[in-house]
Amino acid sequence: MAFRRPAAIIFAAGLVVIAAGTAGLLLTRHSTPAMRPVAAGLEALPAPTGPIVAPPQSAGPRPVAAPVSLTIPLIGVSTKLIRLGLASDGSLQVPPITDTAVAGWYTGSPRPGAIGSAIIVGHIDTVHGPAVFDRLSELRKGDQVYVRRADGTLVKFLVTAVQQYLKNQFPTQAVYGPTPDAELRLITCGGVFDTATGHYLSNIVVYAAQAS
Amino acid sequence: MRFPRITRTIRRITMLLAAAALLLGVPAAAAAHASSATPGTGWIRLAHLSPNTPAVDVYLYSFGNSDAQIVLHHVAYGTVSPYEAVTAGDYSVAMRAAGASASSQPVLSTSVTIGADHAYTVAGMGPEKGLRLQVMDDDLTTPPGKALVRVIQASLKQQTVKVTCGGKTIVPKASFASVSSYLTVPAGTWTMAAIGSSGTATQSVTLAAGTVHTLVVLDGSNGLEMISLEDAAGAGKPPLGGAATGFGGTAPHGPGSPLPWAALIGAGSLLALTGGLRLRRRGLRRQLPAEV
Repeated sequence: MAFRRPAAIIFAAGLVVIAAGTAGLLLTRHSTPAMRPVAAGLEALPAPTGPIVAPPQSAGPRPVAAPVSLTIPLIGVSTKLIRLGLASDGSLQVPPITDTAVAGWYTGSPRPGAIGSAIIVGHIDTVHGPAVFDRLSELRKGDQVYVRRADGTLVKFLVTAVQQYLKNQFPTQAVYGPTPDAELRLITCGGVFDTATGHYLSNIVVYAAQAS
Repeated sequence: MRFPRITRTIRRITMLLAAAALLLGVPAAAAAHASSATPGTGWIRLAHLSPNTPAVDVYLYSFGNSDAQIVLHHVAYGTVSPYEAVTAGDYSVAMRAAGASASSQPVLSTSVTIGADHAYTVAGMGPEKGLRLQVMDDDLTTPPGKALVRVIQASLKQQTVKVTCGGKTIVPKASFASVSSYLTVPAGTWTMAAIGSSGTATQSVTLAAGTVHTLVVLDGSNGLEMISLEDAAGAGKPPLGGAATGFGGTAPHGPGSPLPWAALIGAGSLLALTGGLRLRRRGLRRQLPAEV
């Protein structure tokens, strides 16, 4: 009988492990759908108040004040704008993971309201839930976007297009290249999330032009 | 081949899936290369650059339309309008004497095809006796870290001018009513000078990286003048690629990988098998001691 005990223990242990494995397998068969906000429009914000500036002229363009905040009433976005540069690998710097509720303006791009394409970047989500640009892809042509500047003036933009690009096919010229009018590009992630790398495979870009 | 029919079916299904993936992949790839502005929008601006021509009214018609889409009234010499965003397509530009009826015969007209994401300048150029409408294709790309500059020479008094940027000649000989090609200059704040035989105009111009400029040389009331237009601007230092702006918290998650659990079940089975076999062996030995 004494020789049977280790064998019995091994056998019992095997059964326990099989049970644990089966339980785990069965419990992880469910899928989690995308976490999308339920009531679109209910969280809409009022449009910000203040003097709305006219679009810039090409003759002797005056320098414009730096951007300080961004409001997108339809999707409930109201955030200060931090300043972003380039990461060490030359790609866009992004807001820190400790502050995913803010968006940032790329200082290497024109200021919002000056001639050219101003770049604003924000996270779509954190590890656990939505972040500042969670609902960016809901925007449609004609929706309003406001940027408040350091001198208190407001720049009003209207969305002209919403596009999604694979990051490995990113159209650099279209997004960052020169434009003759005052434009905005709002950039966040989208498309398929690659759990192996922890990154989204695509970027969503919202194009907007200053409203006269 | 033990189950030929099943194997054939599997092969057929695989080919169907491959074909479907290809058909879906092509439009998906095309969509990924969509243009920047609203699909099908370009820009146009209108200018009066003929020194001895009086002010004009400028009309822009989209092809086939008798009602003007844009009308600029009383455009005098030296005026360059701001860019207007218009749907890409065919247009015509007409100039009439300032205040003339919109239905009167235009003094000048020309057609222009506006391509999506392209910009154009349509200017009345030349002396009044030889007035013409010139359509210019405006460049909207810049080499990284640099600026683009071109010169429109619209001075009749200085038949030819030399244009310098920070003392360095960029256009050695610009004749009246000419448009130079675009020149790449280093980013910076430069003194631009237009030097004619009997007059000079200078201006300090900031040429930021990623910008496109047009310098227009004009006969001013006080001699030679130069206006500097910033045609377009983009990121002076374009970032590489897109932005890493997501951590997956709102992404859909499929069922977890079954592999670790399968491995666990496998390990448990091995353990149980080992233990069970040993139990059986010991049990057999005890049952058949004579065989040992």
